[in-house]
Amino acid sequence: MGRPGAVIEVDRNTPPTLFHFGEGVRLERLPLGTRVVYPPDPLPPIAHPERAIRRALAHPLEDDPLKALLRPGMRLTIAFDDLSLPLPPMVQPDIRQLVLEEVIELAATAGVEDVHLIVANSLHRRMTAEEIRHVVGDRVFTTFYPDRLYNHDAEDPEGNVFLGTTARGEEVTLNRRAAESDLLIYVNLTLVPMDGGHKSLATGLGSYRSIRAHHTVHTLRHSRSYMHPPDSALHQACVRQGQLIEDAVRCFHIETAVNNHCFPSLVNFMQKRETDWTATDQAAYLALKQLTDLAPPGVKRAAFHSMRAPYGLTAVHAGQVDAVHERTLAAVERQMLVEVEGQTDIVTFGVPYLGPYNVNASMNPVLVVCMGLGYLFNLYRGRPVVRQGGVVILFHPCRYEFDSVQHPSYIDFYDEVLADTTDPAEIEARYERCFAEDAWYRQLYRRSHAYHGVHPFYAWYWAAHAMEYVGDVIVVGGERETVHHLGFKCASTLADALEMAEQTVGRHPSITHLRFPPLMLADVR
Amino acid sequence: MRFELLRDLELLRRGWRWGEVRPRWPEPAAIPEPTDLEWSRAEPVRILRRLVQEGLWLPFTRLMTRPQVEGEEWLRNPDRSMILVSNHVSHADTHVLLAALPGRVRERTVIGAAADYWYRRPWLGRLVSFWLNTFPFARSGGARGVLHSSGRLLRSGWHLLIYPEGTRSPDGRLQEFKPGVGHLAGETRAPVLPIHVRGTHRVMPKGRRIPLPAPVQVRVGRPLYPEPGETPRSFTRRVERAVSELGDGSRAPEVAGSWIERWRATAPAPRRPRPGSGWRTAAGAAEGGERPHR
Repeated sequence: MGRPGAVIEVDRNTPPTLFHFGEGVRLERLPLGTRVVYPPDPLPPIAHPERAIRRALAHPLEDDPLKALLRPGMRLTIAFDDLSLPLPPMVQPDIRQLVLEEVIELAATAGVEDVHLIVANSLHRRMTAEEIRHVVGDRVFTTFYPDRLYNHDAEDPEGNVFLGTTARGEEVTLNRRAAESDLLIYVNLTLVPMDGGHKSLATGLGSYRSIRAHHTVHTLRHSRSYMHPPDSALHQACVRQGQLIEDAVRCFHIETAVNNHCFPSLVNFMQKRETDWTATDQAAYLALKQLTDLAPPGVKRAAFHSMRAPYGLTAVHAGQVDAVHERTLAAVERQMLVEVEGQTDIVTFGVPYLGPYNVNASMNPVLVVCMGLGYLFNLYRGRPVVRQGGVVILFHPCRYEFDSVQHPSYIDFYDEVLADTTDPAEIEARYERCFAEDAWYRQLYRRSHAYHGVHPFYAWYWAAHAMEYVGDVIVVGGERETVHHLGFKCASTLADALEMAEQTVGRHPSITHLRFPPLMLADVR
Repeated sequence: MRFELLRDLELLRRGWRWGEVRPRWPEPAAIPEPTDLEWSRAEPVRILRRLVQEGLWLPFTRLMTRPQVEGEEWLRNPDRSMILVSNHVSHADTHVLLAALPGRVRERTVIGAAADYWYRRPWLGRLVSFWLNTFPFARSGGARGVLHSSGRLLRSGWHLLIYPEGTRSPDGRLQEFKPGVGHLAGETRAPVLPIHVRGTHRVMPKGRRIPLPAPVQVRVGRPLYPEPGETPRSFTRRVERAVSELGDGSRAPEVAGSWIERWRATAPAPRRPRPGSGWRTAAGAAEGGERPHR
């Protein structure tokens, strides 16, 4: 059994602390008295995942066994999470592959001829054939690709149907094939608590028309945090939309949770607490540090993005969405939760090379903000780790670099919109519709592998709560011009950043360092 | 009716020059029997060929053509010998097809090579037999003998790759299939896998000796079997139609197979008992069972 998460206080004997720094890592000496919050060790994975999946399908929660729902002549659609989960991508076999193979075997036994598999990529970019093959495995891929296994197209006017409006006025659309199916099965992989549940279908197979209902600055500012669904306005809207979908289509949910074993053995030192590092770990750190200091960006990117995580399955449940999601969340929190006593003046953390929206691409400055002030900042339950008006210190090189295939609208968002204003509410009011309905971005989303035109706005909104809440944001090691363009401050070293932060929070501030990844959820008391 | 005796005599007089040296009629090439090439399927040669393939021309072929394979599930776990039937537009076809086959199938595949082309010179025949594991396949006359030897190869566990058009298509269009494939399938009851290769005419069209890089697509259809009462010729027409439809991009179940059939075709093979593991071995021995030669 692994150790639970822990909070330690830096003293003279504490080794330097690891910070992720984009496509690189660095060790920093934190001031004495700084609290360092560590995630729990990986939970032991289920020894026989296939058996656990078969058991879940045969004994679902508040629903009939899947076998009883399948019959010849029916239309069956299976949707599954796209490559934004998990991070980094899993070593094969992916958990979704194992689930899909069991579900498809049941469908084949029942003689269901009309089966389609849809990547629930929402407004994310289309997955490439090789990426789909990695997720679903060779057998599923060769059987169904390309005519029965494909990406969801949220901009296909014929491929989406309007289902209705919720009591709060949120419009709901759904992929037409899914909506017209006799049974819709959703295969999910939950990495953090914001994933899964009603959000899977409502956003994964939705369109701009339905997603814009809750991906707003107002909703995200009132989701405190969206990593804790009961306190999230975003998730409440998704529940309302999801219930409307469940009224229209017969749904069966399969949710899985994985542990936090996110680094392969070669760089396992990143998984460990520094006090546990062996001489081998120190050597591995040294080698990686030299590589990332000297290698050109392309080489570093190729090396980091080729990493595959040896995640292990910790829970699998099937059946009615609410019952299933409750169990899944419990499993995720068992892996992620760390108790933290009280808030702090300054919080520090490194932003890693990878977020949900830059798999196989560089992390552009907008995504750095999304990852740092959006996802990582919001990994709390109750209250943020940093106090209101406190300072967030991020580590990231924050270079002006964009992937023109995946993020074309991000380039224009950065160059044109952020040059004008960085206020999320003003951006939303003045620019969102223009980007969302742009014909060229729509074409790139549908035919190339580009994120939807509105996507940089949503990435920016994810950080809206943090931007409103904190007093200052300082990026250590960032490119000065780029950081200033984002509306933040830039520092060369941690010492400089702490000194700058004192101007906001006063002398002798309390400091807390969040040592992720692996990801954790701070339960701030 | 006209009297034409004088004209006929004149024709005979001019047509044959009696007493002059007669032109030499070319002696037929000594085409080896397939059994003469057993050495190319013997173990040390197979290992050597595999090394050459894996280390040399398979990576080169993949680099040059980046083959996209559709329908590879039909090749995944063959439980018996198959006749692979493909269209033929280029010398690159064989390399591309071998690159598209899963390793286990590739190792057990022999290729029918035109006897009067590849085996006319003994050294060329030996080279191509080693390089690609070919055997001489007569395009005209004496087919019965070759079909007999093909059947023997199939029965001894080899898969057979043949081009029933007989030669490379000059313009890329599918030519009429020769009925040998129908006879062979009828004789051996082996499944026939229709395959269509597209793009190799850009890699190495007829007449060119140096290959050029170009993307290639390989589509494999569901296995076909002769139906009761179906003549070899009509079965050959059916195979030809399947290859043609694959070339047209059809994904109809009768060509590509239903998804359930494809799913079943890729079912993982049941685990074999580990040698020497207690009662399983004893039971096998009691039944007089022998491990099939793979």
